[in-house]
Amino acid sequence: MERRSLLASVLIYAAALALAVLLLLPILWLFVMSISPAADLTAKPLRWWPETVDLSRYRMLLTWEPNSMGQAFLAALRNSLTVAGLAVGAALVVAVPAAWAVSRNPRLEWSLYALILTYMLPPVALAVPLYLGLARFGLLNSTVGLGIIYLSMLAPFTAWLLKSGFDAIPRDIEASAKLDGARLDQILRILILPLAAPTLATAALFALLLAWDEFFYALLFTSDQRAKTITVAIADVAGGRVADYGQIAAAGVLAALPPLLIGLVMQRAIVAGLTSGGVKG
Amino acid sequence: MSGLSLVNLTKFYGSVQTLKGIDLALDEGEFLVLLGPSGCGKSTILNIIAGLLEPTSGDIRIGGRSVLGVHPKDRDIAMVFQSYALYPNLTVARNIGFGLEMRGIPKTQRAAAVASVAETLQISALLDRRPAALSGGQRQRVAIGRALVRNPAVFLFDEPLSNLDAKLRMETRTEIKRLHQSLGKTMVYVTHDQIEAMTLATRIAVLNGGQLEQLGTPEEVYRRPASLFVANFIGSPGMNLLHGRIDAGKFVTTGGEASIFLPPGYTHLAQGRSVVLGIRPEEVALASSNDPSALVARVDVVELTGPEKLTLLRLGADQVMASLPPTAAVQAGQDLSITLDEAGVVLFDPATEMRIAPAR
Ligand SMILES: Nc1ncnc2c1ncn2[C@@H]1O[C@H](COP(=O)(O)OP(=O)(O)OP(=O)(O)O)[C@@H](O)[C@H]1O
Ligand SMILES: [Mg+2]
Repeated sequence: MERRSLLASVLIYAAALALAVLLLLPILWLFVMSISPAADLTAKPLRWWPETVDLSRYRMLLTWEPNSMGQAFLAALRNSLTVAGLAVGAALVVAVPAAWAVSRNPRLEWSLYALILTYMLPPVALAVPLYLGLARFGLLNSTVGLGIIYLSMLAPFTAWLLKSGFDAIPRDIEASAKLDGARLDQILRILILPLAAPTLATAALFALLLAWDEFFYALLFTSDQRAKTITVAIADVAGGRVADYGQIAAAGVLAALPPLLIGLVMQRAIVAGLTSGGVKG
Repeated sequence: MSGLSLVNLTKFYGSVQTLKGIDLALDEGEFLVLLGPSGCGKSTILNIIAGLLEPTSGDIRIGGRSVLGVHPKDRDIAMVFQSYALYPNLTVARNIGFGLEMRGIPKTQRAAAVASVAETLQISALLDRRPAALSGGQRQRVAIGRALVRNPAVFLFDEPLSNLDAKLRMETRTEIKRLHQSLGKTMVYVTHDQIEAMTLATRIAVLNGGQLEQLGTPEEVYRRPASLFVANFIGSPGMNLLHGRIDAGKFVTTGGEASIFLPPGYTHLAQGRSVVLGIRPEEVALASSNDPSALVARVDVVELTGPEKLTLLRLGADQVMASLPPTAAVQAGQDLSITLDEAGVVLFDPATEMRIAPAR
């Protein structure tokens, strides 16, 4: 490691700290808002730290009491988990074979470019045809219906990401496995997928976040607790006649927890360097 | 019988012809080395034998049976890849045993086979590691072990030693030779290292531009190259080639600077015929002072390699490389008397670039 002067070190740490504060401050403020009494939030001058910690909003959100705000919120949380889980799972199931096929037959690469074309259209342009389509199959206001829409959103980019992951795995490994008598499914299961695990985890995580945060389609295609997702539910909290900003903040904090936890768990899988050592150089 | 033969093998990539009709036949237990410059189609041949590539036309026979269209795993072949191609996520033991595992060999039997192969290759201590934790030489051994454990009819090696350092290369080469001697299996080995080719092969196939230039024992390929290409390609440095014509039963260089006696087999050649004379550097020697057949050449460059003094001489329009003893007193710029050992003389036809066979 190169030697730095004391001043340079101090400056580097200061810059890193500033960046961290910049990134984390909004999240911290969200949390502070969610535990501040309502009066503190409207006080002038602004109170940066509440005098008493108020957890009542969390209590209001975390209850299954019929017809309560909590029930709607928890149902939305459940719906979001269902929709995102379905969409991410299906996206991986679709994208793994597609990406592997394209990675091993470069002549098929145009098909992935064709998929990217779907991203060129703004969601608004697709909203009406998708709405009519879902209505036709009776899938409006259903988690499965929304999951299918999300699948169409997630599959193309997961396929791209996975393709680059598969590209990095030397072909000789497959050729060797073939000579060793491995069937295609064994090659994929025992060698390719474990070797692509970091890419697989990255793709899954990004897909999950995308599905979790989606608002536009969810707003259009769901109408009640059977299918409404968390983003729509938060908007509902905000859309009441008297908006309690603290309440919105609490909902936001809770909504951020599941992807955060899943991300932390997945991080273990996103370890690079697993492919090294199989081939020379 | 598990010989191997290739029958008029061709391979096109699009409109580019990579293999232009390869014919060769090997007996069981032979060690064939495919030798040739980069891009001449060596790996392509190996991959076709293995079944990883389909030939455009032609046939591959293993043990007399055509394996065209037979899946790689059913060809009774094991291959050691140029890149090792180990499975990075599996332990060394599982890497070696993978072929047996895929063929449904029971675990205990598998473990015994892996252990015995590991012992042969002296990698028993490494069985629990992953490939990333091995040195290049150790990875190479694992790759060889993976082929050995399957006990196939034919072994294929694609430049297995090209990434090892010189010393390890020599050791592993000896190891492979020993394996061949003890197993007696047919092996096909790709390399562009001549020493590897000469030391390992029972027969060498010299390839050039997708064509088989010569198939012969190392001795034949070295001493009686079939074409100018082989003469030049084999040996480092390659064979000296002098241009000239036949004159009164002797060879005279184009400019008339030197005339050289021909070996008995060549006395029938027509007067005035253009020929190319080939002679190995080690068959060029300093002439004794009273030698009537001595040629005089100007010394251009002198390089001491250790065991020999490579001396580049100028003889008319041609250059002659001489491998002289390290103690020879030669200096650049001086005129030197040399003699050529006529037993080592080979003649080529400059038009066809093929060797002219001596009459018996
Ligand atoms: N997939 C392919 N598509 C088109 N051309 C190819 C393909 N694979 C190989 N070739 C061409 O075929 C020729 C022979 O390739 P091959 O790999 O057999 O050479 P090689 O003799 O093994 O060379 P090296 O010593 O460098 O390994 C080369 O000219 C190469 O460019
Ligand atoms: Mg090659």
